[in-house]
Amino acid sequence: MAKESFDKEIQFLRMLVLTSGAFSRQQFAERLGISVHTFDKTIRRLKEVVSSLHQVLPQEQSKELSETIRYSYYDTTDPLLLFLFRAKSVKESESQRISMLLGAMNEQALTAMELLDVCCSSLSSDLPLPDEKTIRSDLKYLEEVGVVKKEPGPRPFRYRIQDDLVRNLSNDELIDLYDFVDVMANTQVPSVQGYLLRDGLKKHLLRNQVELHAVEPFLYKYHYYSRILDEAHLFTLLHAIRHQRKVRFLYFSPKSEKSYASKNTNPLFERDTEGKAEKTLPLKIVYDHQYGRWYLLAYGSEGIRKYRIEGITQIEEDDSVDEAWCEEKKSELAAKMRYSWLIDTGRPVTVRARFYNPGGSEPNFVKERVMLQGQWGQIVSEDEHSFIYEITVNGTTEIKPWLRSFGSSCEILEPLQFRRELIAEWKEIQAYYASV
Amino acid sequence: MHLFEKIFNHQIISRLEDSGTFMVTSHERSWLKTMLEHPAAAEAFTADTLDKLRSILASDQVMDTSLHLIEKARSLEKQVYHPLLSTLRRHIMNKSGMRITYEIKGGRVKTDHSGFPYKLEYSMVKREWYLLWYHTRHHAFMSTRLKNIHAVTAESIKQSTAERILQEFGNTLDSRKSEVVIEIIRTYNEELSRILYAFSSFEKNVEYDLDNDTYRIRVCLLGDEMKYLLSKIRFLGKRVRVMEGDYLKRRMLESSTKALERYGVVTATVSEERSS
Repeated sequence: MAKESFDKEIQFLRMLVLTSGAFSRQQFAERLGISVHTFDKTIRRLKEVVSSLHQVLPQEQSKELSETIRYSYYDTTDPLLLFLFRAKSVKESESQRISMLLGAMNEQALTAMELLDVCCSSLSSDLPLPDEKTIRSDLKYLEEVGVVKKEPGPRPFRYRIQDDLVRNLSNDELIDLYDFVDVMANTQVPSVQGYLLRDGLKKHLLRNQVELHAVEPFLYKYHYYSRILDEAHLFTLLHAIRHQRKVRFLYFSPKSEKSYASKNTNPLFERDTEGKAEKTLPLKIVYDHQYGRWYLLAYGSEGIRKYRIEGITQIEEDDSVDEAWCEEKKSELAAKMRYSWLIDTGRPVTVRARFYNPGGSEPNFVKERVMLQGQWGQIVSEDEHSFIYEITVNGTTEIKPWLRSFGSSCEILEPLQFRRELIAEWKEIQAYYASV
Repeated sequence: MHLFEKIFNHQIISRLEDSGTFMVTSHERSWLKTMLEHPAAAEAFTADTLDKLRSILASDQVMDTSLHLIEKARSLEKQVYHPLLSTLRRHIMNKSGMRITYEIKGGRVKTDHSGFPYKLEYSMVKREWYLLWYHTRHHAFMSTRLKNIHAVTAESIKQSTAERILQEFGNTLDSRKSEVVIEIIRTYNEELSRILYAFSSFEKNVEYDLDNDTYRIRVCLLGDEMKYLLSKIRFLGKRVRVMEGDYLKRRMLESSTKALERYGVVTATVSEERSS
């Protein structure tokens, strides 16, 4: 069976999250570069996953998917998009068998033959009964993903579920663990594995008489909750970086209208895709906290290139390169990135800006924010009313929005050209509101 | 490591839930082991628990993500955990009342006020924890930085009162929300994705006007969030324009006018306003 790709689902969910409610089915499908039929099929599939994970009330079953995953600050403590990572298809018989095996090993350590007996006596009769080989290969898989453990001792080996994490901790310690996992998954990257763990622990606590109210004490403000969609590609890329391997993918620049093209296996029906086939050596991944977006920095025939991870589809590993050469490219990149506010590798310039303190007895939130978000920039001088911030950055494009976000509390001093740009922008913005 | 493992399949997960089985993979344990290296771990657990966790995870791998990942434009991580977190989360869990001594703006201290804790809120922008709580005597919803709390102890409260306050929190917060409408200036439709990303941390709906090829974002928010939204709008500059929302419009006019004054530019509109 061909490797299952989730490109369509990822692009689909991203568009749903970002444009919540803006498009009709037809428009939505057009923008994804798929047919309305495929669009409906994808929605059905995702709805199926969502509804099997959340016991939905009958009146909610008909709710649109876009409604189900609509972000609502006080009601949403579970990561809305996590269900994407639950979408891998598994045959009905296999999902029954695996969950039954785990249930059996939950109570005691068992041998493969004993597990076979359990399956034969309890699997529903309309499903084909497994043989010993199947059970052994299930056990091998479960051991590989670290869910079960072989007990020490002579043959035949006994297996048990690996749940020390909850078994060896007191209830109080479990609450502390749950909190830690919740806080770290929400404030650090990567977070998908943390969210999966949080989900498991939450269910475990709820089974053990802890109220729902007790497992949802935290809220996270101004959170880019869609960032986990791109983590889907993260580990493939990390693997390639670790092993100095090139990757191939079809790239859709986020500026193009379409963001996905169906991959037809029959070349006769292949249509023109608007994406561009890329082959490149991945060097670093960048997460941008300003927008909650991910980038891939790579080395290809045109030198260093940057890709938005959201535009990457049909990714596959390719041949490996010489390690020393790869390291050299990495250090070249590191040198170029030294002064990148985000990912700009252009010529470094020194930016000087005067920030004005808020008047009166108010706490100096301007200075607080500059110190919190100003990255490696320095406050070089200061008087009663203002202070001067100086930073060397690659180009002024990426730092500009941040400086502009301070409004009239920030005045660009240098470079002069940059100062002029800001004056022109404020004039335009003022014109937008002239009639207010 | 692959995130789309069949073990994470939704049917398997819901069957395990039915049978009451706790399942954890080495992916999740590796992540946890990596996070335990963060300084926050020492504040989150007692030394004993931390030792216990480390020994449970002894045979798991630490993730090497940080070697290949650069985080940019991140706020300085002043605080991930706060010493009061564990106490307060238990008061919340037990639906207990509290007696709280805290500092307000200007440094004045309020001593021994009765209240009911609702939620703990972390601001990803300020990198700080806040307690959302109900002030019993003033019948007010409060938000206090944990660093401004001097002391807090549990205080008994009638269960029915606790339930009533919880109910009220939900209703009141929703009713206090207001809506603003922001339009993406059509010339910048090419940057749609970036602009929508900037608004993705708000509750919002997007409307698309096919005839004019124009997008409008309807943001739904509480009054005290306006300032943050304002900084986002200034962040995006001339790409967006506030269509509905008088406060934001006024503040944008004020920002641009004052900014131009800083640069020594006085425009026609402003001087007319002054002479009138």
